[in-house]
Amino acid sequence: MLKINGLKAEINGKEILKGLNLEVKPGEVHAIMGPNGSGKSTLASVLAGREEYEVTGGDVDFEGEDLLDLSPEQRAGEGLFLAFQYPVEIPGVSNINFIKTAVNEVREYRGLPNLETKEFMKLLKEKQQLVELSGKLANRSVNEGFSGGEKKRNEIFQMAMLNPKLGILDETDSGLDIDALRIVANGVNELKTKDNAFVVVTHYQRLLDYIVPDFVHVLYDGRIVKTGTKELALELEEKGYDWIIDEFKETV
Amino acid sequence: MATLTISDKERFLINQEGQDFSHEAKTFIKIRELALKNLKDLDFPTNKLEDWKYTNLRGISKIEFRPQSAINIIAAKVKAHKIPNLDAYTLVFVNGFFSAEFSDTAEEKDGNFVVTNLNTAKKKFIKFVEPYLGFQTRAKDQFFVNLNAAFSQDGAFVYVKAHQKLDKPVHIINLVDGDLVAAYPRNLIIADKLAEAQVVVSYETIDTASALSNVINEVFVAEGAHVQMDKIQNENGNTYHIGADYAVQHKDSTFTINTIPANGKLIRNNLSILLDGTGCTANLNGAICLNGDIHVDNQTYVDHAQPNCDSNELYKAVVNDQAASIFNGKIYVNKIAQQTNAFQSNANILMSDDAKANSKPQLEIYADDVKCSHGCTIGQFDDEALFYLRTRGIKESTAKKVLLEAFIGEVLDNIKIEAVRDYASALIAKNFNSKN
Ligand SMILES: Nc1ncnc2c1ncn2[C@@H]1O[C@H](COP(=O)(O)OP(=O)(O)OP(=O)(O)O)[C@@H](O)[C@H]1O
Ligand SMILES: [Mg+2]
Repeated sequence: MLKINGLKAEINGKEILKGLNLEVKPGEVHAIMGPNGSGKSTLASVLAGREEYEVTGGDVDFEGEDLLDLSPEQRAGEGLFLAFQYPVEIPGVSNINFIKTAVNEVREYRGLPNLETKEFMKLLKEKQQLVELSGKLANRSVNEGFSGGEKKRNEIFQMAMLNPKLGILDETDSGLDIDALRIVANGVNELKTKDNAFVVVTHYQRLLDYIVPDFVHVLYDGRIVKTGTKELALELEEKGYDWIIDEFKETV
Repeated sequence: MATLTISDKERFLINQEGQDFSHEAKTFIKIRELALKNLKDLDFPTNKLEDWKYTNLRGISKIEFRPQSAINIIAAKVKAHKIPNLDAYTLVFVNGFFSAEFSDTAEEKDGNFVVTNLNTAKKKFIKFVEPYLGFQTRAKDQFFVNLNAAFSQDGAFVYVKAHQKLDKPVHIINLVDGDLVAAYPRNLIIADKLAEAQVVVSYETIDTASALSNVINEVFVAEGAHVQMDKIQNENGNTYHIGADYAVQHKDSTFTINTIPANGKLIRNNLSILLDGTGCTANLNGAICLNGDIHVDNQTYVDHAQPNCDSNELYKAVVNDQAASIFNGKIYVNKIAQQTNAFQSNANILMSDDAKANSKPQLEIYADDVKCSHGCTIGQFDDEALFYLRTRGIKESTAKKVLLEAFIGEVLDNIKIEAVRDYASALIAKNFNSKN
């Protein structure tokens, strides 16, 4: 589904991703962990198409398409979704109009007709329930004045509405209390099928108790320096990253 | 042989002459004479004047503008400038002259209100007109105010009697047709005690290669009265528009003016609001969305002369291409005007490298128990928000439109008549895109 090959990217002349490889197949869940500033959000942003980053090497194949050739909206249309680490507040744009526009534009991209209002409302209710997002938030401006947890749940809600093939969750668990964490994780598990996949960026093993990953990767200094199974996450929680960094430095 | 040299201004003024006002009542002729006298000592404003720092009108003085009545007005061309779905008393003026055949008036002597043209009112309702006309526009130092006072052909007259309300809005359509037209429409709007009125004034073009619209709106809001005015400026790119809006408010009255400068060559608006009674509220809003090389200069002046009044100003601008948006907001709080609340906000988004915005708040406060706040921002388009929307599958063009509509929408929400709001929104949306 996703094949990242030797990806290099820089911002303001500073190289952040330094030859990153990753393959994700349908039905899989991948966790990416790694110290602050290692490039996790950068990877997510580059995949989603943020123009500030310049890709200087490598390629990314998504479902047979050259992902890097597509605009952010085309990537969404193809089925890529990024849940932001820091969701953006958009004053004056109501959450419900926003998601309706998004759903219909994605449908248009996929050659489907607009949803009838009735169908849309049904979908909306269903997905709001999935992440226990209060209906009141629908009429508020996108993320404006939302609590940290509400913002994160709103991200998962949007993901549920758009039903992507690949969901990238950038620290969706950060700042969530235990109930919200369970809700978010449940949301993801409900959406999971054998045909879609998730990449979950996190600092905490806690989330991985709920969303069980098939693979755990450690991103350090713009590269994936170690890949393991879910046990690796436990080990990282216990021992930190130093031993991996040392291991990595030895091999270089 | 002696050579006679005359200045551009003098030649310009000579070009405005030739209209016969001798049939008017003495009291109205006096207003014109006084204005002519003031004009002797005045000249076209230049950048040297602080209030005209960013807008230079010397160029106008060399253009051979003249008052001209339009001949052969084609009905379809007038109708094209009606606002769809707006049920209103419509008054049409072409080049400043009243066009009765396209207008519907309400002139019953014992009616609850009068809606007609000013020239009719000057004869038929002189006792309503006389105490008000020109009362607020005696500014000795304002060239264009005096120019209009001297040469104004006609305008709308709206009078709502005490405790009454207009059963529907009045829509005043000002059109220009012909080259080198100088149009001086002048509206007089009076809401007597506890009366209510909604007035929409639009300025548009039938056809012109060059025109000057020098306009005045004079509004009186008596005790407890409510007046809302929406001003839409949608003239073609060959038109200079220089306007002044005056309102005086008495005790517990509310006045709202929404200004939408959308198209033209150059637009200058001078708003002066006098809060002359306690408990007044004045709302001044501007929704400005510009492209091409239009130059728009909004100046506001709110005079808190009495205690316990509120004024709220919200001006927002989206500036594209080489366009320029200037905002200068003055608030004056008299020393007796305790418990004044005066809010002013001006936010600008520059959409291109050549777009310009200038913002200058000016507060003069002589009372001590006062809440005043002002804020101005000049920034770029919010790329973070744009990216966020695009990652949700929303096309860049749609996403931009959504964000700009949200920004300007906060101002447009103040337009209470839905048809007018839709009309203004559509004009604004057209300007979101570059003209280049
Ligand atoms: N605009 C920028 N200019 C220069 N450096 C930048 C810019 N944006 C990000 N960086 C740098 O890129 C590096 C990677 O940042 P990134 O946000 O991808 O890290 P992260 O792994 O997501 O960290 P965290 O765990 O704290 O979220 C950091 O060193 C950061 O300072
Ligand atoms: Mg990050």
